[in-house]
Amino acid sequence: MERAEVLSKLTVIFRRLFSNDSLALTNELTAKDVGGWDSLSHMLLITEIESAFSIKFKLKDLNKMKNVGDMIDIIIAKL
Amino acid sequence: MNFTSFNFLIFFPLLVILYYATPAKYRYITLLIASYFFYINIKPVFALITAGVTLSTYLFTSLMGRTNTGPWKKRFMVINIILILLPLFFFKYFNNINAGIFALLELFHLKWPLPKIKLFLPIGISFYTFMAIGYTVDVYNEEIESEKNIGILALFVSFFPSILSGPIERAKNMLPQFKAQINLDYNMVSQGLKFMLWGYFMKLVVADRLGIYVDAIYGNIYQHNGTSLLFASFLYPFQEYADFGGYSLIAIGTARILGINVMQNFNRPFLATSMSEFWRRWHISLISWLTDYVYTPLSFSFRKYKVWGIVIALMITFFISGIWHGAALTFVVWGLMQGLFLSIEALTNKEKSIFEKKHNLSKKSWYISIGVCFTFLLFAASEVFARTTNINDAFTVYRRIFTVSGTLFIGRLSILIYGIFGLSILLLKDLRDEFAPSWFLLFENKHKFVRVIAYSSIIILILLIGVFDGGQFIYYQF
Repeated sequence: MERAEVLSKLTVIFRRLFSNDSLALTNELTAKDVGGWDSLSHMLLITEIESAFSIKFKLKDLNKMKNVGDMIDIIIAKL
Repeated sequence: MNFTSFNFLIFFPLLVILYYATPAKYRYITLLIASYFFYINIKPVFALITAGVTLSTYLFTSLMGRTNTGPWKKRFMVINIILILLPLFFFKYFNNINAGIFALLELFHLKWPLPKIKLFLPIGISFYTFMAIGYTVDVYNEEIESEKNIGILALFVSFFPSILSGPIERAKNMLPQFKAQINLDYNMVSQGLKFMLWGYFMKLVVADRLGIYVDAIYGNIYQHNGTSLLFASFLYPFQEYADFGGYSLIAIGTARILGINVMQNFNRPFLATSMSEFWRRWHISLISWLTDYVYTPLSFSFRKYKVWGIVIALMITFFISGIWHGAALTFVVWGLMQGLFLSIEALTNKEKSIFEKKHNLSKKSWYISIGVCFTFLLFAASEVFARTTNINDAFTVYRRIFTVSGTLFIGRLSILIYGIFGLSILLLKDLRDEFAPSWFLLFENKHKFVRVIAYSSIIILILLIGVFDGGQFIYYQF
């Protein structure tokens, strides 16, 4: 799967989860930039991503996700 | 020695001179010796525990550093965590566990009393034990390399500005700073002094003044009516904020004068509009520690239960936060209340944000005000359990608030007036910093004259209405 494809699939998940239809994802985007993205919603996001891409994260992967770019790298490595 | 003792007033300036007179390469050694001197001054034998925690952590993290893979790496981590938790459990929970076992045996008509040991909790043990555990897990996760220089690690565990009550720092932030060559920086010293000044104001003027009133009411809950109990219960969260927030600022300021940046611990907590926001602003270092090392692993392993997995993880995390504060049922209830508040918010979060968007509420000042008041009320309600010593007393406070009317107990009028005057200044500053950070600049004013007047006024206020025999900081007991 291409990076762009992962990004567009992620955008759908993010927009639905954070109820924000105009949310645009960039590599540099972090939890601070998105209203409602906190430690509570983060795990819901992780579960949604796991089922959408049919992958399983490890706890270590979560520590490495500092922004959306890292997230995409880790997803691609798992596909 | 503590920050409000006379000894500290002599110790700290002398240390600053000695510290900057030491060649930059060896400054960490000066700081390490000073930290142990500071701690030994409280009770020498406690320093042995700190040294033990350091040695064990150094040994096992070094072994982990050499064992790159395989089960032994995990085993070393677990052994070290258990070893360094032992003294914490012994000093903090021994008598409670003892009483629990005794009560259990009594159910079976067995009487086998273990001797009750008079234990003094080594100050700061809950804080530096968590720091050492965090470092151990970070080495395991390869977030940081195991530290080769035992002096640097020892300084991390015993760093005197934060050893007594935090902030609960991370190795990732502190170790590189201790290793770097620090030069005397005028801006850092000036910022540090400002933090210290404001911290002393919060502690001596606000917390200790309010504390006299709160103690008078909570010391005799059966004698006071509901009005006074309600008023004292409203004041207590402010007292605690001024006390612990003030302590934290003095710690951060002290470190900054030495050229070290320590993390923020409070961020205008009473302007939070929800409990989840409140817990990102109150005792930040503990909550972020719990988030990283307890909540995240738990919620990750419960993630297949979706939002209910988060609820279970929250309840367990705040249960641990409760017993971390003390081995008492009151703290368990306190922790579970926080877990419950946050769980309800997590369960209704989506609906709330849709509702707010639909009616365009999030920027409306009346809506923000309602959120701020409601959040404060929830926290104040839970703090009744943190302030009372047993569950019966806590329920008595609630019962009397709703059933026993009467006029407000005033006591010595000057205490209340000075306390509330100090609190108003503190809250006005928080309001300014939150909503209009560039207005009414006093400490940061570009005219030196205004700055000097501002500092002098705060110093005069501290000297005039500060309480100098108020004793300990609240968080020393944890």
